[in-house]
Amino acid sequence: MSTSLRERPAGLGTGGGVPARRAMVRWAWRLFRREWRQQLLVLALLTVAVGGTILGAAVATNTPPPANRGFGTANHLVTLPGNDPHLTADIAAIRRQFGIVDVIEDQTIAIRGSVNTFDLRAQNPSGPYGGPMLSLVAGHYPAGPGEVAVTSAVASALSLRIGDRWHEGGHAWRVTGMVEDPQNLLDQFALVAPGQVSTPDQVSILLDSSPAARFHFPRGAQVQSIYSHPKSSGISAAVIVLILSTVCLIFVGLVAVAGFTVMAQRRLRALGMLGALGATDRNIRLVMVANGAVVGIVATLLGAVLGFLAWIAYEPHLETITEHRIDLLSLPWWTIGTAMALAIVTSVLAARRPARSAAGLPVVAALSGRPARPQPAHHSALLGGLILVIGLLLFAFAGSSNGNGGSGSLEIVLGLVAITIGSVFLASLAIAVLGPAGRPAPIAVRLALRDLARYRARSGAALGAVSFAVFLAVLICIGASYRFSDVLDLTGTNLAPNQLIVYTGCNNGACPASPPAPAQARAIEARVAASLGTHDVLALYTTSATLWRASTRNNNFTGTLYVATPALLRHYGITPSQVSPGTDILTSRAGLSSVTHLNLIFGNYFGNGHAGKGNGPGAPPASCPASDCLASPKIQTISSLPPYVDGPNTVITAHAVHALGLHLNGLAGYLIQTSQPLTKKQIYDAQQIAGAAGANIETKSAQPSLSQLLDSATAFGLLLAFAVLAMTVGLIRAETASDLRTLAAAGAGGTTRRTLTGATAGALGLLGGLLGTAVAYLAGIAWFHSTPGNLTHVPIVNLAILIIGMPLAASIVGWLLAGREPPTIARQPIE
Amino acid sequence: MTALELRRVSKDYGEGPAEVHALRDIDLSVEAGALVAVMGPSGSGKSTLLTIAGSLEDPTSGEVLIGGTALSGMSRNDKARLRRRSIGYVFQDFNLLAGLTAAENVALPLELDGIAARKARVTSMATLEELGLADRASRFPDELSGGERQRVAIARAVVGERRLLLTDEPTGALDSANGEAVMRLVRAACKRGVAGVVVTHDAQLASWADRVVFLRDGRVADQTSPPPGPESLLASGPRQAPGTGQ
Repeated sequence: MSTSLRERPAGLGTGGGVPARRAMVRWAWRLFRREWRQQLLVLALLTVAVGGTILGAAVATNTPPPANRGFGTANHLVTLPGNDPHLTADIAAIRRQFGIVDVIEDQTIAIRGSVNTFDLRAQNPSGPYGGPMLSLVAGHYPAGPGEVAVTSAVASALSLRIGDRWHEGGHAWRVTGMVEDPQNLLDQFALVAPGQVSTPDQVSILLDSSPAARFHFPRGAQVQSIYSHPKSSGISAAVIVLILSTVCLIFVGLVAVAGFTVMAQRRLRALGMLGALGATDRNIRLVMVANGAVVGIVATLLGAVLGFLAWIAYEPHLETITEHRIDLLSLPWWTIGTAMALAIVTSVLAARRPARSAAGLPVVAALSGRPARPQPAHHSALLGGLILVIGLLLFAFAGSSNGNGGSGSLEIVLGLVAITIGSVFLASLAIAVLGPAGRPAPIAVRLALRDLARYRARSGAALGAVSFAVFLAVLICIGASYRFSDVLDLTGTNLAPNQLIVYTGCNNGACPASPPAPAQARAIEARVAASLGTHDVLALYTTSATLWRASTRNNNFTGTLYVATPALLRHYGITPSQVSPGTDILTSRAGLSSVTHLNLIFGNYFGNGHAGKGNGPGAPPASCPASDCLASPKIQTISSLPPYVDGPNTVITAHAVHALGLHLNGLAGYLIQTSQPLTKKQIYDAQQIAGAAGANIETKSAQPSLSQLLDSATAFGLLLAFAVLAMTVGLIRAETASDLRTLAAAGAGGTTRRTLTGATAGALGLLGGLLGTAVAYLAGIAWFHSTPGNLTHVPIVNLAILIIGMPLAASIVGWLLAGREPPTIARQPIE
Repeated sequence: MTALELRRVSKDYGEGPAEVHALRDIDLSVEAGALVAVMGPSGSGKSTLLTIAGSLEDPTSGEVLIGGTALSGMSRNDKARLRRRSIGYVFQDFNLLAGLTAAENVALPLELDGIAARKARVTSMATLEELGLADRASRFPDELSGGERQRVAIARAVVGERRLLLTDEPTGALDSANGEAVMRLVRAACKRGVAGVVVTHDAQLASWADRVVFLRDGRVADQTSPPPGPESLLASGPRQAPGTGQ
């Protein structure tokens, strides 16, 4: 044979350089192509994580209405009433002052046989600012007198099609097209050419003006600036999705560690053969890491494709839900790119640990398929404890930062990562004690526990993932319980689904631009109530009084202290005899009566400087002079009052109003209630009625209740934990198929198989529940370290479900599903 | 020239009462071009001797020299390079890496040593052709028969400039015809100057060797030079079968 190779490359060191690395990557790729089914779990999880992030980020970014809704490309919107006697002159004055303006005239038209209305709108489709508020769906824009284009809702209500003639108010209009307001699909109108609305009810003028510009607008004009629109002061929705995605990827990474550990074990003999051929440790590591990278890249690409397809499919539904058109490509690309990169990094990092473990194994041990002996558990426990403490400190810092107005999002993410890594290391210790603990147990249970302890690398990662699922669920439960237990700063559902408040006066410091007069307020209430088809209306009044806690604590009383008028008490079925004599405050907030240093303040308390000046050292303390403060008012808890945050949950009694000489501020608003939950259309109509008259409305927000939050978090934790157990217990037991055959040869039957699987699932579930809960409470204490008192509200039922119910159910399901004879052990990837 | 030399090599496993003496004071040298068979009952230390000779394991005491170079003091990476360049292994039942074709398997040690894939493939094809396996070059291991796999494994073990061929029961999973074909290749490699060590407990297989070393309880119990093996029949006419006396 003449197989000698004379030319050896020089200067490659001992690693073989690029050719060796290429050979390793090629082999990893070929193995992936052959064995991708065995890595389906990790592939699927990463794919879902990336796809979910893309869809979530797309939805989160595109759900809020456009920032320029109602403004087009202008930065100011001036609304003039149609009954302005000098309307034409006023418009001309504004035009002179600002130069280019876009004038839109609206006349309200009632639909015959319906309470609904729409606008006859005169707008120039080529106007300088109104372009984004108008788009042509079909046909063409009205070009002159007698032409109209309508929205689909108007066309449907009036049974109109393009080419039809529409008779209204003595005019005959020919329908030339279908139009819409892409920024507000609920906006129903019939578009005519400028100047074709003879008696407008309202004229909107879009214009550009610097925020500092001074101009005296005509009386009755309402001026809105795009700069004064509320802007999100916190983290953007895309960043929140990215943070959630990171948390999700941490979880996926833990499962991936278990999956890649199993793969490394399956390939151990092949890796040993590679070592025997002269591959260096680095070469062997590269095979596993390249496999992780391939899995990450394939899953990321798959996830991206699925995510985009899901977005394309969902986008029309989102347009219907959000009532505005959405640009399909208006996506947070940097968030998506970051999430995709993170998914690949997660997969690579997850593959590194088993790769290092396999590369460090002696070649002979690898050739015989013997896994590495686990490291002493106390080593990893020490390291885990240290990392956990770092994570808790980061959480404590994030908690302080959050309390001081900062977001602390970086600390939260880093803390979560550190806590998770620390938990994984601690999981090894928890797993290690299983073996000895199972000594007195029957043989099948004992064997299951010893297998978990022996193959700590994969069972530790699985336990880490289960405990992470429980950790997240319990942490949400703790946080929610803590937040909801604050009787001063009440959190929860703001109103019932069938309730609506029309604010005609100031509410929590926010006042309408031009508050309506009392008669006008009653008219608004009557119109809104009529549009909702109800007579159930309660007038709400306030005084200058509110509750104030004179202490160094950060949180204080929030909410409106309404007046307990006879009508209000009647509305909630409270009889005078139920109110104790001398009571100043009635409340449905359980625990408010026992809050210390709580005063009833009124008049110009803050203006007089009685609230003190901050909480810093040396700052003057708060005082409670009788002129504008009642120390420790008598508070009676009465459950008949509504529990809703923005409803009259805390009211000042007539006794206190008289005793303190308070005067009513006037009408704050009306609480209107319907028999059925309000529809979106009803809410929109009410907004239009109230908005046109200078009032605001409030309806039920998406804020969930405490029980909804606890149940959702528990269900979320259970789902994740069961998913991890279903995936990892299968992997762990599949690797001990040869033991099962030995057991079967020794006479063990299906019951032994079932018990093995049930005990494995139960043990992992129980340890995961205990570890996750313990770490979550440590994290909760770290986060709320400044006010730990509220942590005593323990959601016992939810914790019991996670700690006891979850492992029990996992054990039972494992027992039930393990009756099938196991297939032959997976073919080794070596021939 | 001595390709492999073991000087008073001992290997112990475990500690205390669980301590096992796998090898005790083994002295062995294999010259270039010689084929040595190592025989012995199960647990006698045959495979341990092979792994220590191939730098896969370190001896507890004693010294191993390959091509005159002592293994003691070598780093893991240096030993890996030595294996890539000087030592070829053939095991009983698994040798080839799934996912790589026969040609790629043969080229792997060369690529690991930094030789470009194209050049390594040319060399591996030449080796396969010499072993009559050129038409199997693009097949994956699971598309080859047991005998073909072992022959490809031998091709990989001798490709390049390997000077030491270590085989552990290379025909254990083969029928007699395939076993003979494999041993013929091993013998041919030795004729070209490669030093070979065959671990076996099959006397028929040992008859191919120039020398047979018997191990028992980790010690060399006996050494002998058996009569010429079956291949000698092909070279110089009819001979008596091994094991039937002379």
